Amino acid sequence: MIPYFRSLAARFVYRRQTERELEEELRSHIELRADGLERSGFTRAEAERRARVEFGGEARFKEECRDAIAGNFLDILMQDLRFSLRALAKQPVFTVVAIVTLAIGIGMTTAMLSIVHDVLVRPLPYTNSGRLYAAYTGSESTGQTRIAASGPEYLDYRDQNKSFVRIAEYLPRFTFTWTGEGEPKLVTCTAGSEDFFAALGVRPYLGRLYEPREFSYLKDDTMVVSYRFWKTKLGGDPHVIGRTIRLQDESVAIIGVLPPMSDLFPDTDVWPKLTTRPSWPFMQWRANKFLRVVGELRPGITPRMAEEDLTAILRRAPDEPRDVRVQLVPLKEDLVGNLRAPLIATLGAAALILVVASINVAALLLARAVKRQPEMALRLSLGAGLGRIARQLITEATVLNGAGCALGLLLAWSALRLVAQLPNLSLPRLDEVHLNTPALAVTILIASATTVLFGWLPAIGFSRLHLSSALRSRGTETGARRKLSLPALVVAEIACSVVLTISVGLLVHSFWRVMHVDPGFQARSLFRAYLRSDSPPNDPEGLRVYNEKAVPFWQNLLTETASLPDVRSTAISDWKPGRDSEIATLLLEGRPYDEAHLPTIEGTWVSADFFRTVGAQLVTGRSFTERDNADAPSVVIINTQAARQFWPGQNPIGKRIGVNYTGPGRRTSGATPRLREIVGVVGTIRHGPLDAPTAPAVYMPYLQDETSHDMSAMNLLVRTEGNAVGLAQNLRKQIHALRPDEPVEQIQSVEELEAQSIVPRRYTLLLLATFAVVDLVLAAVGVYGVISYVTAQRTREFGVRIALGATRGRVVSEVLRGGVRLTVIGSAIGLVGAFIVTRSLSALLFEISPLDPLSYSVAVALLALISVCACLVPAWRASRVDPIIAIQSE
Amino acid sequence: MDYEAELLPGTLDLLILKAVSIGPLHGYGVLLRIGQISGRALLIEQGALYPALFRLVRQGLLKTEWGKSENNRRAKFYELTSKGRKRLREETDGWNRLVAAIASALAARPQEA
Repeated sequence: MIPYFRSLAARFVYRRQTERELEEELRSHIELRADGLERSGFTRAEAERRARVEFGGEARFKEECRDAIAGNFLDILMQDLRFSLRALAKQPVFTVVAIVTLAIGIGMTTAMLSIVHDVLVRPLPYTNSGRLYAAYTGSESTGQTRIAASGPEYLDYRDQNKSFVRIAEYLPRFTFTWTGEGEPKLVTCTAGSEDFFAALGVRPYLGRLYEPREFSYLKDDTMVVSYRFWKTKLGGDPHVIGRTIRLQDESVAIIGVLPPMSDLFPDTDVWPKLTTRPSWPFMQWRANKFLRVVGELRPGITPRMAEEDLTAILRRAPDEPRDVRVQLVPLKEDLVGNLRAPLIATLGAAALILVVASINVAALLLARAVKRQPEMALRLSLGAGLGRIARQLITEATVLNGAGCALGLLLAWSALRLVAQLPNLSLPRLDEVHLNTPALAVTILIASATTVLFGWLPAIGFSRLHLSSALRSRGTETGARRKLSLPALVVAEIACSVVLTISVGLLVHSFWRVMHVDPGFQARSLFRAYLRSDSPPNDPEGLRVYNEKAVPFWQNLLTETASLPDVRSTAISDWKPGRDSEIATLLLEGRPYDEAHLPTIEGTWVSADFFRTVGAQLVTGRSFTERDNADAPSVVIINTQAARQFWPGQNPIGKRIGVNYTGPGRRTSGATPRLREIVGVVGTIRHGPLDAPTAPAVYMPYLQDETSHDMSAMNLLVRTEGNAVGLAQNLRKQIHALRPDEPVEQIQSVEELEAQSIVPRRYTLLLLATFAVVDLVLAAVGVYGVISYVTAQRTREFGVRIALGATRGRVVSEVLRGGVRLTVIGSAIGLVGAFIVTRSLSALLFEISPLDPLSYSVAVALLALISVCACLVPAWRASRVDPIIAIQSE
Repeated sequence: MDYEAELLPGTLDLLILKAVSIGPLHGYGVLLRIGQISGRALLIEQGALYPALFRLVRQGLLKTEWGKSENNRRAKFYELTSKGRKRLREETDGWNRLVAAIASALAARPQEA
């Protein structure tokens, strides 16, 4: 070992001395030999000359001595590196295109893999994450799935199940009013039952969590808050434990701060206890299914077994459809499941980009290698070994690859930065997305393997290079292998691009459809403010007192706000534009009541001017008036979809129905609902996101809710003339004049709410469209590169043909024909791929088939156009060949 | 007939080790010694000796020292290290076995094959 290091030192540390000694040693050899020759009778001069001749090629042996010193490979590496950099710098276009292509492939794929991993794949950060399941019910006969649970249902599960270590219920995202510190504010609450935090295995960040006995208290006097709320609203005060705040007009002491939980309703501010308290009587109604259930499975119990267990419990309950079933969903899927389709689609697109980028780089490297045949032949003839040339090529590819990887890493990193900051993109867990090292490793490995493989591949060809012909012919000779592989790469590239372009075409077409969908109302110049107040009490006397205050408030609010400047009309409704209304079951008078097949309908409470304010179309019958109040006969208006579905071919006016809520927070006691008469039919309004399917809907006067529950949370809808200046301020003033402690959140334009409702689609489209554009550019570069190369190879042939009288037009069309043939083959393969791939996109499509002919033909036409354009330049160049120069140059 | 055999690949190292085993030698001396002990039967290109010497030094089989030659010229002398001595023994044994094996193979008569 020591001699080796001494030898290394000789090379690197004592370089000059080593060189001098080598020189001296060889000189001394020659002189010693000359001495010997002199002794046998030669003159000194003759002796030295002979000694030198006998010694042989001094320069070569010196070189071999240097090679024999340790660390030689490093020297060669440095040489290769220097040479590579020079070679790459000599062809800046090739180099830049190859590096950027690699970087795009690596960067985009890594970024998407990181996002998909962190959002979809990464386990929940809770102790028991693998065994946490959400429980829903569904029944085939009613066609309903993912139905939540009611309070009594949960208690049955909790007390009778044999499958769970712990089972908890929780209610995400309701609001409390926070007063006493400046303007009244709304805070977002998620409430969990006793075992909730224990089932998840969450520990407090500060202070403590609730103790079991606290769940039997009737009021909230302690509160656990979220990390975010503590940081942003309470200033991250380390001594926050024990501080009291006023929530819902009660003083509560903060006892604990939770750790950051980006997975679990990250917008939650406070975490109250979910208990059966007097103010929450709806917790006791069996038909009131709005609670979510999560449980930690016992070891050894499979989800199937637990489903059987809970189903048996549920079927013992009254009023359940006979085929009701409990379905367990892994909690993670429950929380991020709806993101699967767009994320997987985007990941697929990113992977395609990586493939296309790799193919591009491969094609570029091959074309370049052939162009360098004369250079390689020269080096071979000057004594460079094949191994040395292969090493040189690999070094070049590695340098290229290294630069591409570095740039790709930068790209991935900045892409992740950008995604985390996208407005309105409320992906759960996104704030915790990190560059995923394994993902980076995989993409870099794929890209590097391609680059180095295709960088090295030509070396095999060179080994069979005939020196004389290669030198003479200026690299017009191509091995059969390369003649085949280059076009094959183009075909593969076009096929991948066709798949991606068609997929994106489908999304663009879907988006166009969504943008042109008729929402059934006029979103422009419509504004919305969210107003909430206390829930009404349950007892008749309390309800009467409540109504005495609440009814005049809403009535006054409507008249006062309607007379504000620039306001045309106002209405209130419990519907928030962009959100589905609550689901109710429907009772049709005069039809058999089949509890297993209750039809469902969206129910919305509205004020008299609702339809005029939102701009909906009354189809038949009458609209609501001020006279449809609590004392008048109960009336409803249905939408056309409900009319078609429940009274096909009949006039629904005059028919009577009962409406029974099942949705969150609603009060339905399960008793037979009162019957309401249909007085009108209105055009179908899209309640939810523009791209969501519509449902049958029923509208009811808000004063005819016998529980007054609707009045605890309302949306004030304001129709203005053009852009009403100062509207927000005027509204706020008006509302506070009527109710000083009403928290008025920002006043939103409904147009914006509608736009927000399709944000996920917009971003998916944006992302995929970016990928498609990048892909098309890559494809264009690839086709251009290969066709130019192949055409350049045939310069001499074209020259001869032009000399023999071929027209230039003929030459152009011949080159184009070559390109078109590859495009047609590639497109055909791509179409087959698209047939297979686009099926998995159906969840992202809107009112079009995955085989939508328009998207297919536009995508293929676009790609054909691009590839023909990419062929035009080389074709034109071929036609300008000067026959004399082309032939002579051989 | 004066017969000069080409060196088999790999044998140059062995010859150098053998030449140096008798005492320290400079490069030219190694050449002379090989000529002498092989009865001038082996042909070595003079310059080719040096890369081999450098390689043996790197492998730690030889050590070097600058000194004066018999006719008073400065020269680099090569000397066997203990590792080199051991290697020489092994290689010599190996070589002898190989020669014996090949010789017996060549001496075989057709019937015995």
